Amino acid sequence: MAWLHTWAGLLPGWLLFVIFLFGTGAFFHQEISRWMRPELGRGTVTAEAIDAAAALLAHKAPDAEQWRLSLPSARDGDPLSISWKARDEKPAERGKRGRANKANRATLDPATGRELTVRDTSGGFFIYRMHFDLHYMPVIWARYMVCIAALAMLVAILSGIVTHKKIFSDFFMLRFGKGQRSWLDAHNVTAVVALPFHLMITYTGLVTLLFTLMPWAISANFSDRDAYFAAAFPPAPETEPSGTHAAMLPISALLQRGEQVKPGLHVGSVTIRYPGDSEAIAEMFMRSETLGGRREQVRLRATTGEVLGERPARGPAAATQQVMIDLHAGRYAQTVLRWLYFLSGVGGTVMVASGLVLWTVKRRAKLPDPNRPHFGFRLVERLNIGFIAGAPAGIAAYFLANRLLPIGMADRTDWEINSLFIIWGGLFIWSLARPAKRAWIEALSTCAGLYALVPVVSALTTPRGLPASLLTRDWTFVGFDLIMFAAAAGTGFSAWKVATRQAKTPPARKRRAPLEAMA
Amino acid sequence: MIHAATFILALAGFASLLLAMPRHQQDWLHRKLAPLVSQRLRLVGFALIALAFLAACLGFGWAYGAVLWFGWLTAAAALVVVVNLNRERIVAQMRR
Repeated sequence: MAWLHTWAGLLPGWLLFVIFLFGTGAFFHQEISRWMRPELGRGTVTAEAIDAAAALLAHKAPDAEQWRLSLPSARDGDPLSISWKARDEKPAERGKRGRANKANRATLDPATGRELTVRDTSGGFFIYRMHFDLHYMPVIWARYMVCIAALAMLVAILSGIVTHKKIFSDFFMLRFGKGQRSWLDAHNVTAVVALPFHLMITYTGLVTLLFTLMPWAISANFSDRDAYFAAAFPPAPETEPSGTHAAMLPISALLQRGEQVKPGLHVGSVTIRYPGDSEAIAEMFMRSETLGGRREQVRLRATTGEVLGERPARGPAAATQQVMIDLHAGRYAQTVLRWLYFLSGVGGTVMVASGLVLWTVKRRAKLPDPNRPHFGFRLVERLNIGFIAGAPAGIAAYFLANRLLPIGMADRTDWEINSLFIIWGGLFIWSLARPAKRAWIEALSTCAGLYALVPVVSALTTPRGLPASLLTRDWTFVGFDLIMFAAAAGTGFSAWKVATRQAKTPPARKRRAPLEAMA
Repeated sequence: MIHAATFILALAGFASLLLAMPRHQQDWLHRKLAPLVSQRLRLVGFALIALAFLAACLGFGWAYGAVLWFGWLTAAAALVVVVNLNRERIVAQMRR
């Protein structure tokens, strides 16, 4: 059954590497967003800022059909943002995904309520979305691909445990400088040491895509997907404005009221329909950042604070699903546990990468002519270089683009993302044109150089470089910059190892190729 | 505090498990321990890991504690692996 482990791991391996790499980064997506919006101050939403937001809404859009206010949580790297919809606005005037267009929104500093110009960026949210929606392709295709890769991953993990029982007697074995054996050790150790994490993350990952993978529960009971969503998450009943003016409670009082009704939950966003009308309604989306925590929607009469309706409590199956999704996303995790998630994620990424490299190392020794490997071997080898060294380099380029692209640039958000793929693709093509060993060294060194540049460029282009963040004890920024240096050190060390290993290889093994020496 | 307790218990647990394995006894102690001693070391190792679970759960609740326990187990096992990897360097340092 060893073949099952080999092929279930290899075929989706490069996609799995991307999923693991971006997923590991996504554990810190809020912190990444924070770093990518350096204009935004620190601190949580204050009552003062909410009052300022309410005043701004009343000033800019007194006759709007609806107001919307998004409140970032303490960790979110998002600004306090407000938007509004004019009464006569046509759907065509809305931006992407029904977002309010630029003239109809504003961003505010969550601490002071001052209006801010924040650079356009997808921030950490892109890292998170890329983890399961990929990019440049319809989301539904991406999700099917990710589902199949995750299923194969589950098969690979389980078949790995069953067929390679020796992994447990070799639990602590990691020996460097022993060629193929070292690659096997690295693959085993990163797999076994974080095995509970790998099983959990793969299984719960499939649960997050439950209805993509198993749509039949919906299709057997509902006429279509929309009917299911309408039943599972009933939309608010349509109401009409009365046309008579009436004073609303202040937004801050409405928020307080919501938190009284649902103790322990905090408001993520609030929409006020027909502000200023006697029939004005405040709809609040509330959540708690705990494992399996509730997400609730509360509707209040905006003039009195009277509760109009709540979503029915969820059933046990939905609650179980929520726990699994929370376990997967780890948003409930406090700082220490979040770092442990990250550490295990790094282990998973290394496990996938070492498994891919192991495939070539194992076969290189058996090639009839090591200088002229067959097509399949070359394909795997090239994909390995392009993905394992290329994708991390792309992420570094994404961060660099965030600091270097002009603030007022058109489609800036898209160009940040394009930069990621331009660097990744460029490195991929470059590595194709070079001999395998040189390609590894050059791609990994480029990757290291890009990561090392991120904190430097950040210090030169923003007032929030590493020395400044250390002085102000801004640990999110300090942590981000240090992780960039750590990534540079890690990839640089790998490049150095590939470059120097050849000389040290004992003569008997000389026939074996340089790649295995990368340990 | 609870984080430190969980981690140290897990670390001691994995260290005991390492020393319960004959091939590592040869490396670290230059001799093989008697089977009975190895067996007891293994038992102690698992007991320490179970204690780490209790520490995490009593400190953070059963749900959060259980996840945290797995996280610290991974960290502790990884550290034992790294120490074992650098055994020769560490032993040389200690002799000096």
